[in-house]
Amino acid sequence: MSGRTFFFSLWCLGVAGLFVLGAGFAWSPFAEGGRARSHAGYYGPHHK
Amino acid sequence: MQPDAAIRAEPAPATRALTCPSCGGGVELRAAGYTVHVACQYCGSILDVTDPQVKLVTAYHQAAAALEIPLGTRGVLRGVEWEVIGYLQRSENGAYGWDEYLLFNPYHGYRWLVYARGGWSLGEQLTVMPDWVAHDQLAVAGEIFTHFYADGVARVDYVLGEFFWRVAVGETVQTADWARPGAMLSREENAQEISWTRNEWLPSKEMQQAFGVQRDPLPWPPLPHQPSPWGDWLKTGVKIGLVAFAFLLLFAFQFGGTRWDAAGTFPIAADGREQSVTLGPITLRSRYQSVHLRAEVPRLENGWLDLDYSLVDRKTQQVYEAYGAAERYSGTDSDGAWTEGDRRTAVSIPSVPAGSYDLVVDYKGNRWSNAPSYLDSGAGWMDAANAPQVTVEVRQGAVYASNLWLALILIAAPLLFGLFRHLSFESARKGESDFAPSGSDGDDDE
Repeated sequence: MSGRTFFFSLWCLGVAGLFVLGAGFAWSPFAEGGRARSHAGYYGPHHK
Repeated sequence: MQPDAAIRAEPAPATRALTCPSCGGGVELRAAGYTVHVACQYCGSILDVTDPQVKLVTAYHQAAAALEIPLGTRGVLRGVEWEVIGYLQRSENGAYGWDEYLLFNPYHGYRWLVYARGGWSLGEQLTVMPDWVAHDQLAVAGEIFTHFYADGVARVDYVLGEFFWRVAVGETVQTADWARPGAMLSREENAQEISWTRNEWLPSKEMQQAFGVQRDPLPWPPLPHQPSPWGDWLKTGVKIGLVAFAFLLLFAFQFGGTRWDAAGTFPIAADGREQSVTLGPITLRSRYQSVHLRAEVPRLENGWLDLDYSLVDRKTQQVYEAYGAAERYSGTDSDGAWTEGDRRTAVSIPSVPAGSYDLVVDYKGNRWSNAPSYLDSGAGWMDAANAPQVTVEVRQGAVYASNLWLALILIAAPLLFGLFRHLSFESARKGESDFAPSGSDGDDDE
């Protein structure tokens, strides 16, 4: 196996690994929403 | 000319010593019995060794050239041990010089080791004639060669060692070459015969291991038969890339997500005030999931609907937010009717942990008040008579389609780079041909 093939295989493994990791956390760099950074008060009903 | 078959039948590995009649130096014959002419390694004089008395053909009194591979050197190439017995320096009438070493093995006959412009080739004289398959292409043993160099003249400039024919400095032959990546087909013709030689590209590393020669950087522009350093990798790389992408595709199908569920349909106030609805509970069971929110406003026209989503964890009150807007405009101008925007909008919230959530949707309808008078904004899409509504749908998932596309781009990027380099290399290689289209001179930088 040439060096190029080895590094490309490693690259593909890395990409696949990041993809699986992203799926594990259901994360995407293109998602519009996210966790609110600060929040005062309550949204919606406050269930007890 | 190639005494291969005879050699196989009766190997003669014996050597023979003789004395140069010109300078008195000791000359060792390494292919005794097959050698016809030998050039003395001390004075360069050409001797005919078919005569028992060793006849002096041409007398020279010159110092022997220092060869990159000295005569008598042995090396193993492609599983066969070869001994260097002769050396020719040739050129096209003094220009574009190259070196040819004659190799000998008593069981395998003769081969040529050709060194031209930094690249090595192993040449074997053919015992069959190539077949024409097109006006500029020849085929030998299933390999197709394309005409590369037009007719030229090769001249012997310097000789050292022994040869199986009557070699002489100044001897010329007509040449022509056909090439394919990895091998070149050379035709040499003189008054007596036409010979064909297949020259196989030898990587510099292989030559270093076989004969200990110094490793040169790859020639540029490429030699006619120099294989692209990206070609083999591309073939393997495409296979690896396809396997990786197939895995990602299967994974995405397996963990793609759930269906859209209608969360509710809500009226939009005609006065344009901000409204709020709370939907829930929405139960998220996976450790992490993405929550996709889609809204559709069927009656939307020349206006927009702002949507603020807040996904609130009932237990921790942690909020996950997203903003969306459905907007739709239409009208007519000098080009005719036009529309812009979409009555649907979709957003997603990533990495939402498991739990029970409420979805708070704050929404507000807007009219396009600056619409030019010629636009048909109607009575207003938010009018009560129009009964404007917004339908909100929710879906949970794990794999983003955008991630899949991003992964595909990342996998393909090195392959596309390799393809670009490969095509540049091939363009430069073919640009060296006498038959290259005008304008391709192969002077690109590597």
